[in-house]
Amino acid sequence: MKATSIGKNATIRIAALATTGAALLAIGPMSVAPAVSEATDRTLPKPPADGVMGFVISEFIPPVIQGKDACPQGTALKVKDSYLAGLSPEERARLSLKENEAELTKRWQADIFGPNDTNICSQPDMFSRPAMRTVQSPNAWGLDLDEGGDEGCAHEEFTSPAGEKGIDNQEYRVLGCTLEWRGVDGIQGDQATGTRQFFASGEWTQVILLRGVDSLENDDSVEVIYGNTPDRPMADSNGKFLPGASFTISDKPPRNRNVLHGRIVNGVLTTDPEDVVLTQTWGQGGARDIRGNRTKFDYRRARLRLTFQPDGSVKGYLGGYRPVFDVIQSPSIGGAGAALVAGIDCAAQLQTLRQVADGIKNPKTGKCEGVSGSMQVTAIPAFVNDVPAVRTAAK
Amino acid sequence: MSARNKIRNLAIGLAALPLLGLAWSMDSAPVNAEAKAPQAAVPAADDRLRIVAMRRITEAQYRNAIADIFGPDIKVAGRFEPIVRPAHELIASGASDAAISPSGFEQFDAIARVISAQVFDEAHRGQFVPCAPTDAKGADPACAQQVLAPLGRYLFRRPLSAGEEAFFVKMAGDAAGPTGSFHKGLELALSAMLVSPRFLYVIETAEPDPVKPGELRLDNWSRASRLSFMLWNTTPNEALLKAAEQGKLTDQAQLSAVSQKMVDSPRFEQGVRAFFADMLLFEKFDELAKDPVIYPYFNQDVAQVMPEQMLRTISDHLLARNGDYRDLFTTQRTFMTRSLGALYKVPVTASKGWVPFEFAPSDDRAGLLGQAGFLAIYSHSGRSSPTLRGRAIREVLMCQPVPNPPGNVNFTAVQDTTNKAMPTARIRLTAHNTDPVCSGCHKITDPIGLTLERFDGIGRIRTLENDAPIDDSGSMDGTDFHGASGLGKALAGSPDTTSCVTSRVVEYATGRPAEEASLVEDLEKNFAAKGYGIRALFQRVASMPEAYRVPAEKMDTGATHVAALRR
Repeated sequence: MKATSIGKNATIRIAALATTGAALLAIGPMSVAPAVSEATDRTLPKPPADGVMGFVISEFIPPVIQGKDACPQGTALKVKDSYLAGLSPEERARLSLKENEAELTKRWQADIFGPNDTNICSQPDMFSRPAMRTVQSPNAWGLDLDEGGDEGCAHEEFTSPAGEKGIDNQEYRVLGCTLEWRGVDGIQGDQATGTRQFFASGEWTQVILLRGVDSLENDDSVEVIYGNTPDRPMADSNGKFLPGASFTISDKPPRNRNVLHGRIVNGVLTTDPEDVVLTQTWGQGGARDIRGNRTKFDYRRARLRLTFQPDGSVKGYLGGYRPVFDVIQSPSIGGAGAALVAGIDCAAQLQTLRQVADGIKNPKTGKCEGVSGSMQVTAIPAFVNDVPAVRTAAK
Repeated sequence: MSARNKIRNLAIGLAALPLLGLAWSMDSAPVNAEAKAPQAAVPAADDRLRIVAMRRITEAQYRNAIADIFGPDIKVAGRFEPIVRPAHELIASGASDAAISPSGFEQFDAIARVISAQVFDEAHRGQFVPCAPTDAKGADPACAQQVLAPLGRYLFRRPLSAGEEAFFVKMAGDAAGPTGSFHKGLELALSAMLVSPRFLYVIETAEPDPVKPGELRLDNWSRASRLSFMLWNTTPNEALLKAAEQGKLTDQAQLSAVSQKMVDSPRFEQGVRAFFADMLLFEKFDELAKDPVIYPYFNQDVAQVMPEQMLRTISDHLLARNGDYRDLFTTQRTFMTRSLGALYKVPVTASKGWVPFEFAPSDDRAGLLGQAGFLAIYSHSGRSSPTLRGRAIREVLMCQPVPNPPGNVNFTAVQDTTNKAMPTARIRLTAHNTDPVCSGCHKITDPIGLTLERFDGIGRIRTLENDAPIDDSGSMDGTDFHGASGLGKALAGSPDTTSCVTSRVVEYATGRPAEEASLVEDLEKNFAAKGYGIRALFQRVASMPEAYRVPAEKMDTGATHVAALRR
């Protein structure tokens, strides 16, 4: 499966756009990218003699570009602030007074409920809400999913901080200004924190198994198994995952064992577009817990783009098109609580997502029902047992 | 005082009596029993028996005994006072001198109460009470006797004397009244048995040796305990007690046959594990602590499976494969768990439990010395230690005691692991050994331990220390080699290795260090003739007449008549 192997253990100079972006990833999407990209020297290790490489995902978070460019007006309004913004200046001033706090609370909270105990998060379709603040910057991290074209729905594209054009990430456009994604003062948002916990607990833990790797620099055919594992990663005292642990791809339904095909070019592995489904349980996930059984990461026409790192890890993105409702399923499952406690305006988010939908075109309606999105992925070396078992431990 | 507290205090007093009885005097019976004990029940032959040794049973032996007698569902909850290991000896030798402190006794008392409460609770009493009491709320001596006599036989590893039987039956009856429960009475009597020195100690008694007039040998009951605790690490079972009752264990041919059956039994694994846990100083795992910043792969799970990996390797090699003891230091077969796999940097297929694993021939993970458990316990919490490792190999595996360092040693050079001028342990130790006071002993230990330096303080492989390459060359007794595999081969080829384990088995069996060099030599020859198989060595020691002879110095001390104990 070797294509144009430069030579194992060779030091290569890569000035290609993709690799420059990958080098920047080492700094992290939280950083503001330099204006001019730079070539990078790096030495990649040899692949194992059997061409099999395993990884456990240590980072799977929404990529956010920090700074004021993306959201010049500040983060998206919470339900309470959104309610106040809809009032006349006089009434807004009156209700903002401390002595009227109880009245304000009563009124904005009443605003999230509809008839028959419906609310803006459990039944977001039933509510019409004010438009939310979206990302205004032309930059975003992610992948060019439609390769310069579109999936049948015209949309605006981003340019990555590394200069890559045609980035499709409408999910970021809509949610990139929410407090949950953006965080406060450069601290990552709840999405990143929560996701790390789900990966550490074994609930969402993902692994990647590569087969047929002849070179980490160039290889025209690599099989990629991307799936979930019930095994908890080993971590150090700071919670950082440790490389070299063993995992087994889940053998219980839904198995979420995605078989992909890809190639390595200049140290970057890219898979062909394929649907990818991964676990995304909310709540405890027990058999009797309805919350734990009803959600998933459902990426259509998804691809992985991962750059091999000298330390043996890989960094990059999983990108694809997600059904619009999937994007808000977490607060939607949270119901009224998500709106009352976290102040999330699910209805506004869903409306905005629908407005910018750029994928999963419904042939009957001709409308796009999905949005492009990407997750920033970091994976560290691990031993991954496929199921049915590959006796990798047998010697 | 509440009725409940009165009953509790009564129970404490009653439970303590048997112990106090023995503590006061080895030749007087408990006060309560003495008055009414039928003296005629004591066999006249017992007057010739003498107590020649008392060995406290270990925690594992206690737990195994309870599980064997009452069933594995009876929980043993509590902390056991540890038996102190004498310098350069086995815990088995320490058990011969082990006392029980007041707080240790309190723990035994608490454990005993928990056990006896379970044994006579409604779920279990049917298994142990073969009779219906005439009054469920009061005493029934006949029924109590039917319950306590067989239990006492198992717990004391011999039949109760008539005096003992009467004592415990009376105790059960006395307690049944205040508690208003026949079964509560039994509970208290059983608690008393469980804190009796006759249970907590293996009391070895000797009789005149007909083969060697004027000398003593262990009697049948003592031999049953010796065999059982040595080979199975538990109390004698019914077959062994029957054999003792029938006098088979003082018959050499029958003793050999019984011991052969015992080493051929799957239960022998339990005995072999206990022996090696003692020989390899596994109590060190109880206090194993590592700096989590320096060693992120060390955690509670790893600490728990490290000794188990060593024991699995030992029992697989020596028992399942009937392997040569010497190959224990070169074998590349072992077992892995997921947490150990990450430490060893190897794949593990099973998500839970153990899987067999074999290192590649080119791998330096050879034998026990290349296992994380050995490498971790003979390291410091934040760095490896060629000296500790070398010393352990000398002392533990070759029975060659190494002197302790003097009290005024300056360890600065070896402890400064971040000094870039002395990046490796070899360089640091060389600097340290410029002091002639230190170099004498370090010459004995360091050339051995330095060969294991490519394993860090938890046994994780490395090739660099402070970015400097690690030299794993070394030597032992004139033989030069590299790494764990070289050391393993050197150790396997040393006569001291096999001589050491032979003497340790003798010590383990008798509860005292093997002092007769000729005996160890003869045993080692037999060990070699049998391909250094551990079964053959244990069987030989378990059946040789010398192991049951009472040393002359023991006979010089004043006699303690067992007859008095059994009133």
